[in-house]
Amino acid sequence: MADLEKRILLQDVGKPNSHSIDVYEESGGYTALKKILIEDNKKWTPGAIIEEVKASNLRGRGGAGFPTGLKWSFIPKDSPKPKYLICNADEGEPGTFKDRVLLEDTPHGFIEGMIIAGIALDSKQGYIYIRGEFYKPWERVEQAIKEAYEKGYLGDNIFGTQHSFHLATYRGAGAYICGEETALIESIEGKRGHPRLKPPFPAVEGLYKCPTVVNNVETYAAVPHIINNGAKWYSSLSVGSEKSGGTKLFSISGHVNNPGVFEVPLGLPMIDIIEKVCGGIKNGNKLKAVIPGGSSTPILTAEEASKAIMDYEGMAAVGTFLGSGAVIVLDETTDMVELAYRVAYFYEHESCGQCTPCREGTKWVKDIMKRFKDGIGQENDLDTLCDFSQYMANGATVCPFGDAVMMAVVPIVQKFRSEFEARIDNSEDVQHKVSAAG
Amino acid sequence: MSNGLQEVTEYSFSKKSDERFKELEKKFPEKNSLVLWALHLVQEDIGYVPEVAMEYVAQKTGVSKSWVSGVVTFYSMYNKKPVGKYHLQVCHNVSCWLNGSDKLEEAIKRKLNIEHGETTNDGKFTFSHVECLASCGTSPVVQVNNDYHEKMTPEKLEELIDELKQK
Ligand SMILES: Cc1cc2nc3c(=O)[nH]c(=O)nc-3n(C[C@H](O)[C@H](O)[C@H](O)COP(=O)(O)O)c2cc1C
Ligand code: SF4
Ligand code: FES
Repeated sequence: MADLEKRILLQDVGKPNSHSIDVYEESGGYTALKKILIEDNKKWTPGAIIEEVKASNLRGRGGAGFPTGLKWSFIPKDSPKPKYLICNADEGEPGTFKDRVLLEDTPHGFIEGMIIAGIALDSKQGYIYIRGEFYKPWERVEQAIKEAYEKGYLGDNIFGTQHSFHLATYRGAGAYICGEETALIESIEGKRGHPRLKPPFPAVEGLYKCPTVVNNVETYAAVPHIINNGAKWYSSLSVGSEKSGGTKLFSISGHVNNPGVFEVPLGLPMIDIIEKVCGGIKNGNKLKAVIPGGSSTPILTAEEASKAIMDYEGMAAVGTFLGSGAVIVLDETTDMVELAYRVAYFYEHESCGQCTPCREGTKWVKDIMKRFKDGIGQENDLDTLCDFSQYMANGATVCPFGDAVMMAVVPIVQKFRSEFEARIDNSEDVQHKVSAAG
Repeated sequence: MSNGLQEVTEYSFSKKSDERFKELEKKFPEKNSLVLWALHLVQEDIGYVPEVAMEYVAQKTGVSKSWVSGVVTFYSMYNKKPVGKYHLQVCHNVSCWLNGSDKLEEAIKRKLNIEHGETTNDGKFTFSHVECLASCGTSPVVQVNNDYHEKMTPEKLEELIDELKQK
């Protein structure tokens, strides 16, 4: 049912040529930029823009949920170095496909958001880092940038003011870890995507050792609406918690009748989204579990899901995260052992390899899951796996990927343990089978 | 090579890639940022990144050859050896699996008689399984070169392969 949806970022999606600048302008596009630079330029000082974004309670939509206005305020004002803005369009978290819609179907929204951020942070150059597989979305973004230059929204002396802002794309080349902001920065510097140790944080030393802000596509796309309608309006779009402001795009996939990207207010019950927005579970089956925020977030049982509220606080209350808003719905037919194996396989494949616990640990986790998949699990494997998490998580590694692996795999095992136990092989020649399986 | 694909032994940018490279140079303050871009251009020109192209990219971007080869081996989209004219990439991550991606992999193996990472003898098709392509809502998905084919079925995939065979 469409009535739970609240289309703001997605207002144009579905219209013919929604990606064009004409359609965007018809629905009020680039008026926020005009307000800031011309009509209301006395009011909209850089400081005022940052304060408005802070007051809107907009939190980063890339996964970590860090308050956007606060992040912007960390950029040093007196630095003589150039400042860079980066848009994270790497979208690699399994289950997530909402940024692709923004890139492909309504690219001017986040471009306007980036220009406004550029003015607020005194940055003259932004880069949009787009995952390499996104060829068509990249072409759309290139086209949109061209249109914005032609209209004078990008370039030197925008609307004849002293403000300049330039935008260029960068294409990734197939590495999930480059979604992590410091790996992404390394990648734009033409290197392997190895995450950096923090501090220094990108706000102080990011791209080319200069102050840098990295935000997700959806985060930037919210900014023009906040300027146009005010922080109060944006913040109160959500139901429930004040701290989770606005609407959120959810990517919903798996065993639902009507999968897709939906924009709804933050704070709705998960079950309403599954039942009313996505038309319920396919084939009349029963819900078994939900991965709520991309494959790195702890899985919920059906019972937990029935109580879950879709905002940052609500997800924390059931022991998981809102993440990127990627909801993978699993029905009663789902083989949880195979699920855990697929998830573990992904992390082993994508570890950047620079920290030993992560490089070795992901392989080890995958190997254990493979044994269970093959029906030759070992009696003590499950306990060892759960104990092992402490060596890979909790700050033992350069980046949070190590924690993500454990958050993804261990709860599947803990919450659906009997399915794993059913794949334990107690026969005498099991050691032989295990070594034969490699 | 056994699969009929030719190794490239000499390389410089095509005219089109050379022009693109010059455009790109203006957009980045440091030349090393162009390493990934240059490698994309190489692949657009010849489909993979041979040793000679790594040397060429190193010289164009002012970094060492080992820097470039480190990048090539790190990123999965850079092909280290020649691939078929059509690269069939089946997503096998969670949502695609839930919606039947195994059947797509089987269809390819059956029809083309190749495994993950292999190329047909005529050099036409390479098959790989890949991780989430951000098409989970329209899964399962197969990426063929730059294009996504969404909501795939084994039947549609076989038809697509037949069509590509004719090209
Ligand atoms: C392993 C890993 C992968 C990530 N992948 C993405 C991604 O694909 N897209 C994204 O926007 N953020 C991703 N992030 C989060 C970024 O590091 C960063 O927090 C985010 O881009 C900041 O933008 P936001 O504050 O607007 O969310 C990832 C983080 C980690 C640790
Ligand atoms: S935790 Fe893993 S992905 Fe992150 S830096 Fe270390 S090895 Fe790389
Ligand atoms: S799981 Fe296949 S596209 Fe996301």
